[in-house]
Amino acid sequence: MGRYIVKRVAVGLVQLIGLTVAVFFLIRLLPADPASRLVGMNPSREAYEQARHQLGLDQPLLTQLGAYLGLSSSGPGLLEGDFGTSWVTSSPVGSEIATYLPVTLELVTISFLIAFLVSVPIGMVGALNPGGRSDKAVFVYGLFAGSQPEFWWGLLFVYVFFFALGWAPAPLGSLSPMTSPPPSVTGFLTIDSLLAGQPDVFVEALQHLVLPVATLVFVLSGPIVKMVRQNMARALRADFVLYANCAGLPPARVARYALRAAMAPSMTLIGILYGFMLGGAVLVENVFSLPGIGQYAVRAVLAYDYPAIQGVVLVITALSLVVYLGIDLIHAAIDPRIVH
Amino acid sequence: MNAIEPASAAQLAPPPVLHVEGLSVSYRTGERVATPIRGLDLTLRAGEIVGLIGETGSGKSTLALALLGLVRSPGRIVSGKLLFGGRDLLAMPPDERRAVRGRDIAIIVQNPRASLNPLLRIGRQIGYVYRSRAHSSAAETRRQTIELLREVGINDPERRVDAYAHELSGGMAQRALIAMALASRPKLLVADEPTSGLDVTIQAQFLDQMWQTVQHSGSAALLIAKEVGIIANYCDRVLVLHEGRIAEDQPVRAFFRAPLHPYSRAVLALQRDGAAKLSGVAMAAGATTRPLISANGLSKHFPVRNSAKVVQAVSDVTLDIWPGETLGLVGESGSGKTTVGRCFVRLTETTAGHIVYHGRDLERLSGSELRQARAKLQIVLQDPFDSLNPRWTVAELLGEPFRIHTKLGRAERRQRAADLLKVVDLEADLLDRRPRGLGAGAMQRLNIARALATKPDFIVLDEPTSVLSPSAIVSLVALLRRIQVEFGVSYLFISHDLTTVRYLCHRVAVMYLGQIVETGAVEQVFARPRHPYARALLSAHLDPDPANRRVDRRSDEQLKGEIPSPIDLPVGCYLASRCPHVLPRCGEQPQNLVPLADGRSVRCWRVATGDLTGDALTGPLV
Repeated sequence: MGRYIVKRVAVGLVQLIGLTVAVFFLIRLLPADPASRLVGMNPSREAYEQARHQLGLDQPLLTQLGAYLGLSSSGPGLLEGDFGTSWVTSSPVGSEIATYLPVTLELVTISFLIAFLVSVPIGMVGALNPGGRSDKAVFVYGLFAGSQPEFWWGLLFVYVFFFALGWAPAPLGSLSPMTSPPPSVTGFLTIDSLLAGQPDVFVEALQHLVLPVATLVFVLSGPIVKMVRQNMARALRADFVLYANCAGLPPARVARYALRAAMAPSMTLIGILYGFMLGGAVLVENVFSLPGIGQYAVRAVLAYDYPAIQGVVLVITALSLVVYLGIDLIHAAIDPRIVH
Repeated sequence: MNAIEPASAAQLAPPPVLHVEGLSVSYRTGERVATPIRGLDLTLRAGEIVGLIGETGSGKSTLALALLGLVRSPGRIVSGKLLFGGRDLLAMPPDERRAVRGRDIAIIVQNPRASLNPLLRIGRQIGYVYRSRAHSSAAETRRQTIELLREVGINDPERRVDAYAHELSGGMAQRALIAMALASRPKLLVADEPTSGLDVTIQAQFLDQMWQTVQHSGSAALLIAKEVGIIANYCDRVLVLHEGRIAEDQPVRAFFRAPLHPYSRAVLALQRDGAAKLSGVAMAAGATTRPLISANGLSKHFPVRNSAKVVQAVSDVTLDIWPGETLGLVGESGSGKTTVGRCFVRLTETTAGHIVYHGRDLERLSGSELRQARAKLQIVLQDPFDSLNPRWTVAELLGEPFRIHTKLGRAERRQRAADLLKVVDLEADLLDRRPRGLGAGAMQRLNIARALATKPDFIVLDEPTSVLSPSAIVSLVALLRRIQVEFGVSYLFISHDLTTVRYLCHRVAVMYLGQIVETGAVEQVFARPRHPYARALLSAHLDPDPANRRVDRRSDEQLKGEIPSPIDLPVGCYLASRCPHVLPRCGEQPQNLVPLADGRSVRCWRVATGDLTGDALTGPLV
């Protein structure tokens, strides 16, 4: 098992290096000119050249790559863990990602946990009574939730729960504008507020999370319910479930046999969905003005901020790889037939 | 007088354990309703083993489940009573019914490995069943589970209790299942083809054990079987299921003497006529001095992933096949039969040794020479469904060899395909059909026709009968014989079906763990096998003869345990760990195939030195 993890991490690092190089060249294929963007309208020739020199864009591509990776003498690079400096804000990309990423992680992780806890029992009920009333209701819900984009649901939720009913706080970020955030330790507001001993801030953070989380849960539950139901229905048709009934095992035990068999394949899809949502949550972040990594990525792309784009791609990829590895390990823990 | 009579009648017939009245099971798919069980009555009494036979699809497995009050979705028990100890199982509250299942009625099913939860250790699963009846501590449950596993003959139960289903062989999984079934000493055991897919020596071990369990505990058993050999050897009474009802109910001897129902008569006639029609295969006498094709010192090793070890699938096999001859290759699954067959037509590269065809080493042939040789060396595979492309028509399937090896035009190819159909007794109007919808027997005929297209002189038949029904087997064997006489081809006939080998082959080679342990003329080997493994294999074969039941005679030819892994093979004799005649020397000394005076060869030093003589096996064999 240990050897397997080491091997997977090593392969992951190779993948990341390959991806870095690929992204590096792909960005530079864009018909964009970051220097002119930086110096504004009608710059003097000298100012423009100066900007190009500052950004290193006057160097040959390979020299630029070497500098980015930290292979040249110009300073620390990616290989030493330095993502470089944002061309727009002039602050280190690493620390910027560290402030934006936790917002998204918090949102997506909580949403997944809740979506999972809600969807599994619903899917189970559907599979246990195929064609029953609850099964049909789940089918309609899956169709409904999956067929509209998440920002549409987000806007609808804002309209209903904030504007019409007034139950939820305004969609203006992670905390209300009047509240000062706790000192950043982990970057996760919920954790930092508790660490700082400010339970009122913690509650407020949770309140602000309710609607975005509800939106994501609503959208994510559709596919997860469907998948759990299908896998569970297949597991219930399996011979070993029939035999468990033949042996007179209690219904709860039989249901647990089937659930465990259904969970193993479901985990894989959940892992893929999670990796996808890290970048894909941007629409929901936008609706609720949450300063997440998706927002940061969009801003970086619009500003041709090359180091920031590369940093985001790398971090999200690395996170996805870690999640996939985790899912594979969980899968192996559920299903003894999988040997690494 | 009147008071005594019922008592004596009760002595004659033990009390019924299960009494079924008017049982009907139906399946509804959309608008269509199928009713495989229609108003069935049956009684099972204490201490008897009742055999149940019936055509494929006659609802035997449905009935087995229904006896527990269960039906596969979307089926339903629509009417009837299941009187178990006087109480109707179907009228009980669900909780009580569940308690009866497993505690009083247990079932063993066809596919043991799929019936075990793949995600839980078998000990846990058996423990759950055990604890659902008896409240016991975790430690006590584990102790009981290990005890149960030991009782059903699993070696090393302390270790196996922590195994997962996929780590067990089919035989061991079946034993784990029976341990689960017997966990509560049930009064009724329903066994639905419990040995399908098991090798004959394991089948014999298993059925012997089941027979003993029933005898000792005085419970009743319903044994569903395909082979009448099993019925004859283990059952007291025979039931025939036909059109959803019990069509015949006779004691076993009466059944074999005078079957009443047309289906029973057909099944038994098949065995007897088949034997008469096919016995005495005359080998085409030829003055040839050279074998058509031979294997010399053939070995094939497969690498094991993530390991430097190898699987020794075949080691040092030497075989000659003469023109017009059929050589049978028998042995249990995993003995390397198929690999040998594939090496013969160079579908698999050999690790060591040579295949010599017409005096030339197959491996030294150039590309075009190999292509020519391939036309003459054909193979028919085990699964007729998978070896035919379902999207091609029969004309395309049979025309393909001509497209590869000849320059014939489309119309000529079609004509040749039609000729081939005639050779294998199929109708010419099949030409434009696709193989889907044909029976397994017809598909296997197509495969044989395709193999014949290039006028081969040697065909490897890799278990061609294993998925066929008994009647299809008999007619396929007749076809193979006719083709051999007409075209003079030689066959390498690979099979674990000893009856078929007996009828079709001139010589036979018995394989065990990649080695040939005995080879000789069919009459010699079948009448008086010498190698301990060949003896065990042949004595485990069940004859459809209730007058000479296996359970009534004591056999000392039984093997212990299971076939060892072909990865870590012992130094000495491969059979040493299971052999009933083992001596210390057997484990130390590698065994060679030694020719005996009577023309056969045996790989056992005790036989070669005359130390182990071996009488003819008791009773007539197949």
